[in-house]
Amino acid sequence: MQPKLIRELIALLGPKAVLSQPEDLMLYEYDGSVELGSPECVVFPGSARDVAEIVRLANRYETPIVGRGAGTGLSGGAISRNGGIVIVFSRMNRILEIDAANLRAVVQPGVVNLDLSRAVEHLGLYFAPDPSSQKSCTIGGNVSENSGGPHTLAYGVTANHVTGLELVLPDGEITRIGGKIIETPGYDLDGLLVGSEGTLALVSEITVRLSRKPEAVKTLLAVYDTLDDTTESVVDITVRAITPAACEMLDGFTLRAVEDYVHAGFPKDCAAVLLIEVEGLIETVEAQAAEITEVCKLHHAREVRVARDDRERDLLWKGRKNAFGALGRLSPMYYVQDGVIPRTRLPETLRCIEEVALKYDLQIGNIFHAGDGNLHPLILFDERDREQFQRVVAAGGEIMRHCVAVGGALTGEHGVGMEKNELMPLMFTPEDLALMQRVRAAFNPAGRLNPGKVLPLGKACGEIRVQPLPVSTTAPA
Amino acid sequence: MSQPAQASLTRLEEIVGGAHVFTGPAELAPRQVDDMSPSAVVRPADAAQISEVIRFAIAEKLAVIPCGGCTKLGIGSPPVRYDIALDLTRMNRVLSYDPRDLTLGVEPGARIEDLLRVLAEHKQFLPLAVPFSDRATIGGIAAANSSSPLRHSYGGVRDFCLGMEFVTGDGTVAKSGGRVVKNVTGYDLHKLLIGSLGTLAVITRLNFRTFPLPQAHGTFVASFSEAETAFGFCRDIAHSVLTPQIVEVADPGAAHFLFSGQTPARITPQQWSVVISASGQPSVVDRHARELGHMAVAANADEFVRLTDEEHSSVLARIREFPRLVLEAAPTAMIFRIGILPTAMAPLLTRLHQLAAQNNLEFAALTRATGIVYAAFLPEEGTPTPFAVLASTSSVIFQVCSEKTGQAMIEWCPAKVKRATGGVWGPARQDSALMQRVKNVFDPQSILSPGRFAGGI
Repeated sequence: MQPKLIRELIALLGPKAVLSQPEDLMLYEYDGSVELGSPECVVFPGSARDVAEIVRLANRYETPIVGRGAGTGLSGGAISRNGGIVIVFSRMNRILEIDAANLRAVVQPGVVNLDLSRAVEHLGLYFAPDPSSQKSCTIGGNVSENSGGPHTLAYGVTANHVTGLELVLPDGEITRIGGKIIETPGYDLDGLLVGSEGTLALVSEITVRLSRKPEAVKTLLAVYDTLDDTTESVVDITVRAITPAACEMLDGFTLRAVEDYVHAGFPKDCAAVLLIEVEGLIETVEAQAAEITEVCKLHHAREVRVARDDRERDLLWKGRKNAFGALGRLSPMYYVQDGVIPRTRLPETLRCIEEVALKYDLQIGNIFHAGDGNLHPLILFDERDREQFQRVVAAGGEIMRHCVAVGGALTGEHGVGMEKNELMPLMFTPEDLALMQRVRAAFNPAGRLNPGKVLPLGKACGEIRVQPLPVSTTAPA
Repeated sequence: MSQPAQASLTRLEEIVGGAHVFTGPAELAPRQVDDMSPSAVVRPADAAQISEVIRFAIAEKLAVIPCGGCTKLGIGSPPVRYDIALDLTRMNRVLSYDPRDLTLGVEPGARIEDLLRVLAEHKQFLPLAVPFSDRATIGGIAAANSSSPLRHSYGGVRDFCLGMEFVTGDGTVAKSGGRVVKNVTGYDLHKLLIGSLGTLAVITRLNFRTFPLPQAHGTFVASFSEAETAFGFCRDIAHSVLTPQIVEVADPGAAHFLFSGQTPARITPQQWSVVISASGQPSVVDRHARELGHMAVAANADEFVRLTDEEHSSVLARIREFPRLVLEAAPTAMIFRIGILPTAMAPLLTRLHQLAAQNNLEFAALTRATGIVYAAFLPEEGTPTPFAVLASTSSVIFQVCSEKTGQAMIEWCPAKVKRATGGVWGPARQDSALMQRVKNVFDPQSILSPGRFAGGI
């Protein structure tokens, strides 16, 4: 990078807000995925105006820019593929307004997801999207990736909870779309921007919907001796149109790792469990819990346990939310997938994953948002074993192909990023992708904003081509 | 194509078949948009035919407006050009319905009433209680982002539409989203089409998640003498643990439309009526009945009644059809659709009431408590339509809405009023340049519904 650009960035933001030494940059080379890429410079703006000035400078020096929150993403969205400037939003972490009467909050992109819920807890409110990384991930990152979480099943993903954005466009212009009100006349630009993975604009302020906390919550743990019984229970819950707030599945292999790690009281000798939560009025919760228990028993659940109190409930969720970390203790590295399938295809899909694991001689843990058909097979590997990694990639591809073949999608909540962009043709025709490319070019004509993400590189004319980077040798955070 | 050249008609007939191109007045008249008439109605069978029609239109510089049940062609600014009405009613099939997975894929010309019937066989539904429900098609509902009282609990079309297939203004057949209930693969282009009034693409398939029909329901009406107390009651509900399906506020003018005829005798239409529907297990409905009753008393309601099943169906149908009922009573009514925050609703409506009175206009407003006001200004009964008054009032209303941080558009008004005002979309907004960029990508030649949308798009 040109030293002159670094000097200009320092003049703009001050020396503390600009990193350019290799040892400082290393921290920003990775995220929660297996991808890796080095920026040439990392900056920490304090305001939308700072962001706009950085973007203008980057334009002058024809340098790529990548936005980044906490770096917990799982598809390489916040990694720079080819040098340039990474803009980290951690200083822009203020909650600007809480409008409890209208159930809205206005936040800066660096606000941590759970911090918003904590800030409104005393009002009986919360922010519904709850990714597993919610203790550290930022709302700006949630907006970029259109993040979900276990409770997406009942409450929807980030896009369902964002009503307005302030944007810094790739030419440095600051503009607003949407607002506090529920719908504005005109095209739904919020709908396009949320989930665009930082490739259309940088987000400098977010207006979100707050939700009222439910009166009652019940958390059930159904324990099974076979995987088929587990998946058939999920199908049956769906078919009977019972909508729990969350319906998570953990297989026995994962459970044993989780139990050794968090001691949540999961049975270590079972094939799988379902962690199901029902929320709402006491009457709703009682009725749904009874129905779900009946379905689980019908499908031979060996036990259906109800969390007795908040402590037990928190412990069960701690187990679920730390499951990735628990598997990380068994293996130096893992590759998380995020495919989605129609919920009725769960049993055959799980059998397919088992076959793939056998075929490629790999260990795969399964942690699913089963209720909405969102799979997270975790393929364990050791990055020092190159041959094994080839098998991991092949196995991942096979699972992904199965998801698309049964009518599903490549990613349910982690995003395409630089991990699945070359797989996009599995779901989309060249015409679909060309249209998406033209939409990107309408916002980001020079391709300077988060290049090499979402769309296959071959299709993405007008953006800087790079070779896929070697796989990370760093265990994810 | 003011006088359709025979060569053009022949080409269109080659594309869609001779039996599916019409030029007779009986076919053209219902497809008028404002005071403009198309020269031909073309009824394609699939996306490939639509693509060909569009490519032909580009070559011949013809403007195309997609339509289905023709119930919402009056929404938007008058088009600047209009040659071909692209009638999608032949494309009315259910393409895939997996009741077990609660997902549905349909063609745009399917009527919502028919879809709801198919879904009801499996005790499911789409939460779209939209006006003109006997004729409205699913494609038109999405393209106009029709408002439904069920938005309160289920969200709008954007919240349960999973993906779409469409043909853009350059003839490209494309898609976005998917068919599964959770998906972040690629850009959500279909969200742009919701509410785009056919200015970006012609929708050829829509995928939805479906919902289980609730076991039981109960509908309640609380009456108040003041707007402020009525909206205060709504905010109490929003901040309670209750989970109503619908919360609507009818001002005295709207109450006249909802409760006349089979009016439950116990309801006084001269008041502000808050209509609340609860659904779910019978125990949930009973709980709402109990607690809403207590809350209504605490909020100084004059009355609180539970409707009978028959009254429930009638009142909800009238809420659903509110704009239509107003237009049937007064075809030259001007109806605003205003996005507004709950705390600003009472002051806004008070101000709009004053404006109506000052201009000798009748007023009726139905408010979705989550943030949408339908405000109708009607000529006084028996008087000729004061077009100039409606036009001049509209600019004041836009100003009032802005002051109250609302976002308004005129959803319905006579073409004459549209042409006399600064436009039905209100003052230009900050994001109009971005919208124009989006338009240029989807429809570079501006042949799809040109001029109907915000910012002259």
